[in-house]
Amino acid sequence: MKPSLGERIYLIGVYMVLTVAALMCLLPLVHIVSVSTSSLQAVASGRVTLFPIDASLEAYRQLIDGTPIVRAMWNSAYITVAGILFSMTFTVLAAYPLTRSYFIGRRMYTFAIVFTMLFGGGLIPTYMTIRSLELINTYWSLWLPGLVSVFNMLVLRTSIENIPSEIDEASRIDGCGEWRYLLRIVLPLSMPVLATLALFYGVGYWNSFFNVLMFINDPAKFNMAVLVQQMIQSQTMLSQLNALGSSEQLQLSPEMVNAAAVVVMVLPMLVVYPLLQKYFVKGVMIGAVKG
Amino acid sequence: MMFAPVIIFFIIFKYVPMYGAIIAFKKYNFTDGILHSPWVGLDNFKLLFSTPTTIQIIRNTLALSLLSIVAGFPFPILLAVLLNEVRRMWFKKIVQTLVYLPHFFSWVIVSGIVVTIFSQQNGVVSGLWESLTGRSYPFLYREGSWLAIFVGSGIWKEAGFSAIIYLAALTSIEPSLYEASSMDGASRWKQLWHVTLPGIRTTIALMFILSMGRVMEVGFDQVYMLQNSTVSDISEVISTYIYKIGLMGAQFSLTTAIGLFESLVGLILVLGANAIARKYGNGLW
Repeated sequence: MKPSLGERIYLIGVYMVLTVAALMCLLPLVHIVSVSTSSLQAVASGRVTLFPIDASLEAYRQLIDGTPIVRAMWNSAYITVAGILFSMTFTVLAAYPLTRSYFIGRRMYTFAIVFTMLFGGGLIPTYMTIRSLELINTYWSLWLPGLVSVFNMLVLRTSIENIPSEIDEASRIDGCGEWRYLLRIVLPLSMPVLATLALFYGVGYWNSFFNVLMFINDPAKFNMAVLVQQMIQSQTMLSQLNALGSSEQLQLSPEMVNAAAVVVMVLPMLVVYPLLQKYFVKGVMIGAVKG
Repeated sequence: MMFAPVIIFFIIFKYVPMYGAIIAFKKYNFTDGILHSPWVGLDNFKLLFSTPTTIQIIRNTLALSLLSIVAGFPFPILLAVLLNEVRRMWFKKIVQTLVYLPHFFSWVIVSGIVVTIFSQQNGVVSGLWESLTGRSYPFLYREGSWLAIFVGSGIWKEAGFSAIIYLAALTSIEPSLYEASSMDGASRWKQLWHVTLPGIRTTIALMFILSMGRVMEVGFDQVYMLQNSTVSDISEVISTYIYKIGLMGAQFSLTTAIGLFESLVGLILVLGANAIARKYGNGLW
């Protein structure tokens, strides 16, 4: 059946709006890449839009030589990888027992855990707890307070609950113990959910900003988020100063170095993202089912 | 058994801080500690509600989040409905990939992009504005345009990802409804109004109620990174205030009181929102 004229106009409209939406997400990134790889003159005169002009990698050289970005990147990676391991372990340890019907008091524990999602002591008491445990300036202060995300735990719990109980019974009859059942049966069956949760935890740790700002005072231990933010913050001041006097002798504007830093920060995300995309959509759906 | 470490974790990092929140009713000082600092009853709360600054930041918190919720609400629905109309899978896939992406960026990245684009000297938008009007405009340093940028950046970051939930709801609409309506001669446009939107009506209502339950939460990162001293009259919110005055200025008791107030109002809102959502048969628990 051939679509009518009105129908075609409608569809053209749909495709156009979606194209605009997609471009709006893409173009700012393209712009940032262009700014970071153009020459100072081109950037300063505002000619750079989507394509680099007089392409150069000077900003990246400056970024790597002139700022502690490489160390910050290692810190971020370290925080992220270790954080995922800790968080996943504890999330599994929290979720699995709560699905066992013979676990006495699980309703009470579930309530006690969910309650922490709705109500908390607040920033200052949390800070004081961390301080009294002498975790300030250690990465434990980043891993421990958010070790288990209650939401993620509920998602995993729902997914474990959906494993047919026949599997459980069969493996028990075959003499499978609790740990073995968890490691050999439950976890492999929950792989898509586990991948999603690992992605969410990973993104959280990679992007963690506020905790680092609060708990880490030693600049050598900063992660990329805090370092780049400080660069951007000081740039806004710098450019206000520059507006007064001239700084033409510079080969680079701080903006370009910052743009380069933003690109460096986005990059790992872009690499991991396509691999995990098929999982997280599924994971979000499971979370949408009531827990 | 394996649950013991989990219990210990929740006690130390969730329930101990809740207990520590009692300093909201004390005059905390470092030498006496949490336990032995003198009680002051509700003095901190009285101070809180009689100081113009704190009233202003509570107002700002509510205003910024309400504005973000209300202005941002239609976008995920629109995206989901439009994506649902697309039959070419490769196109749908590309659009989805791109619009979900910003959700995974930290606010550092988003604010870096915002500062670059709106920078008064050589940002693209400012350049465009200047060539249109002949004057440069400090977008990030005027309250109106700052507000627009704040809300807009939130929409840019989250609209795509929030669309997932509506897309899920859309897949549960009976295909036979579409067939029947097209038999009756309904155009795609009519189907959109009479089949698609009614089909996700409960999801829309539910999402709206739940987002109202989170009105007290304005993300620290977004405000902290986008704000500047010129617009602090409207941009200072509870979390940034607690950070600056509480942690940097060591006003522990007063800011704990604000935090406690925020948590309590948040709790009431969430419980209230859930109670309403339950009436639609769709509560969170």
